[in-house]
Amino acid sequence: MEAGSLLHSHIPWNPPKPPRRRRIGSSFPPFFFISRASSSSSSNSERGYRGPKPKRDWVADWVSNNDDIVRSLPIYVGGVSLLAVLLNRTVSGIAPVADASSSQSRSDLLTLGLAVTNILTGLVWLSVRPKSISVVSPQGVECQRICSNLPDSVVSELLWVWESMSNVTCCRSLIVVYDSRCILQIGCAAKSSFGDGEAVAVDANKLMQGSLCQGVIKSGAQSYLANLSLYPGKSELPFLPSNTQAVILQPLGEKGIAIIGGDTIRGFTSSDQAWITLIGEKLDATLAKNLNSLPLAVQD
Amino acid sequence: MSTNAVSMCFNPLIQLKMRPQFPAKKTTSKSTSISARNQNSQTPTNQQQQQLNLSVLRFTLGIPGLDESYLPRWIGYGFGSLLILNHFVGSDSSTTTLPQLRIEALGLSLAAFSIVIPYLGKFLKGASPADQATIPEGTEQIFVMSQNISDSLKEDLAWATYILLRNTNTIAVLISIRGELCVRGYWNIPEEVSKTNLLAWFRRQIERIGLENIKDTLYFPQSSDTVLWEMLPKGTRSLLVEPVLQVRNSGANQMEKIEGFVLLGSGMSYAYSDKDRAWIGALANKFGGAV
Repeated sequence: MEAGSLLHSHIPWNPPKPPRRRRIGSSFPPFFFISRASSSSSSNSERGYRGPKPKRDWVADWVSNNDDIVRSLPIYVGGVSLLAVLLNRTVSGIAPVADASSSQSRSDLLTLGLAVTNILTGLVWLSVRPKSISVVSPQGVECQRICSNLPDSVVSELLWVWESMSNVTCCRSLIVVYDSRCILQIGCAAKSSFGDGEAVAVDANKLMQGSLCQGVIKSGAQSYLANLSLYPGKSELPFLPSNTQAVILQPLGEKGIAIIGGDTIRGFTSSDQAWITLIGEKLDATLAKNLNSLPLAVQD
Repeated sequence: MSTNAVSMCFNPLIQLKMRPQFPAKKTTSKSTSISARNQNSQTPTNQQQQQLNLSVLRFTLGIPGLDESYLPRWIGYGFGSLLILNHFVGSDSSTTTLPQLRIEALGLSLAAFSIVIPYLGKFLKGASPADQATIPEGTEQIFVMSQNISDSLKEDLAWATYILLRNTNTIAVLISIRGELCVRGYWNIPEEVSKTNLLAWFRRQIERIGLENIKDTLYFPQSSDTVLWEMLPKGTRSLLVEPVLQVRNSGANQMEKIEGFVLLGSGMSYAYSDKDRAWIGALANKFGGAV
């Protein structure tokens, strides 16, 4: 990412101290202050924003909404022009022989070249069309289990992580395990076989010792299982709904792991993966800071 | 590779709302047959669809830095100018026949269409941004933050600006929460503003434009000459302003209090896709409920 290169140069961590903020109009005589106050209050009223408003981009909207039509449009345009060139030759009585000696033939050839370019572009666009994959609704029960005795800031951060991931990506289940304790189990989870309608609990110790998590924590890198049905390690994640399509395993430092289950095969894009990696680092920092002094708490 | 690529393919858009259990399309290549069989065993397919294998048409000239998706544009320019040359130089204007004029008109309109094709291709699904972001010259990087805020908010702001600069095509970021600022990246600051007055200068600019009162997301995918762009460095081509709202339920109404905004500038046009904007909105929500 080109934008990342600017972080190679030194950015000072300690920002310089700014001066105290001066209130507008504090040094003016009273009647100026009143008129100033009215103008500043009008700038804070509903018509407050005085900058430019963006125009609607009609072309971009139309192309995004009619993706299929636009992809085959160059083929039709090129095909029709091809036929028109031949038709023109026959209608005007010129023999359809391609020799470059007359200027008519030269223009014909150039137009044919353009038509062929359009047809090929249309075919290339059709070939690079991304396959649309259907969403598979996860089978399970909704649950929200948060480890008790967590400070409020940690709880709100965890809930923010869940909310952003479920709104932006195809994530449907989220489990956070830290320090051999299940901190969070939220979203859709597998129904337990006892028939009481509760979700399967996460056995944090067994999970952390399984080969899937050990491998991820040892390498320290995120692991993306794009099509979970192809992986035998699926048996180590019994708490996820059985038809979870994709899973991301994000290590949180060396002591924790976040398991994110999605409802579409290859549903997490590379941008999602990058964001999840950085959010995982932040979660690791937050949990490490706040969980050091907590005794082992009972899961609610 | 598949050899039965003879039949044409008809790929209707899968209507996800109407038939949610419609499985993925069955392809003829062997490598994905395992997952296709799994899908087929669960739900029977109604249509057999075959994909026309057109990937042989994709090619590259192998020259680094040359973007082949712009090839139709160059061909359009080249052939169009040859057509005009042929019209004036190829023969005398007295002997120009009607069929030739027709062909030239058709050729020129085809050339114009070819020139527009890369612009349309940018908005198709799955298109990747072609031009690279460049770091503007002559501007300095800055990183300033209000001092009188809690440590946890300082950490959050520093982390949020870092993640925005690193993960999106951003060169300048400004976050304002309840009047407290955090500014990072490349900005176009006039010479006379000293380092200690930077925050006050930014606050003045924000008040001048009235940015603290926006309620909707503003996205300018292409550069324009407006007052918003003066603060940003010269190479900025797209701008995104995302409000930070705190939603509070009081009685029957949902009140939305404006807490601040997040301003991002990028060196590329059309830099923020839908997904990028969704993530930036989620990041803005973090500060909506913050202490």
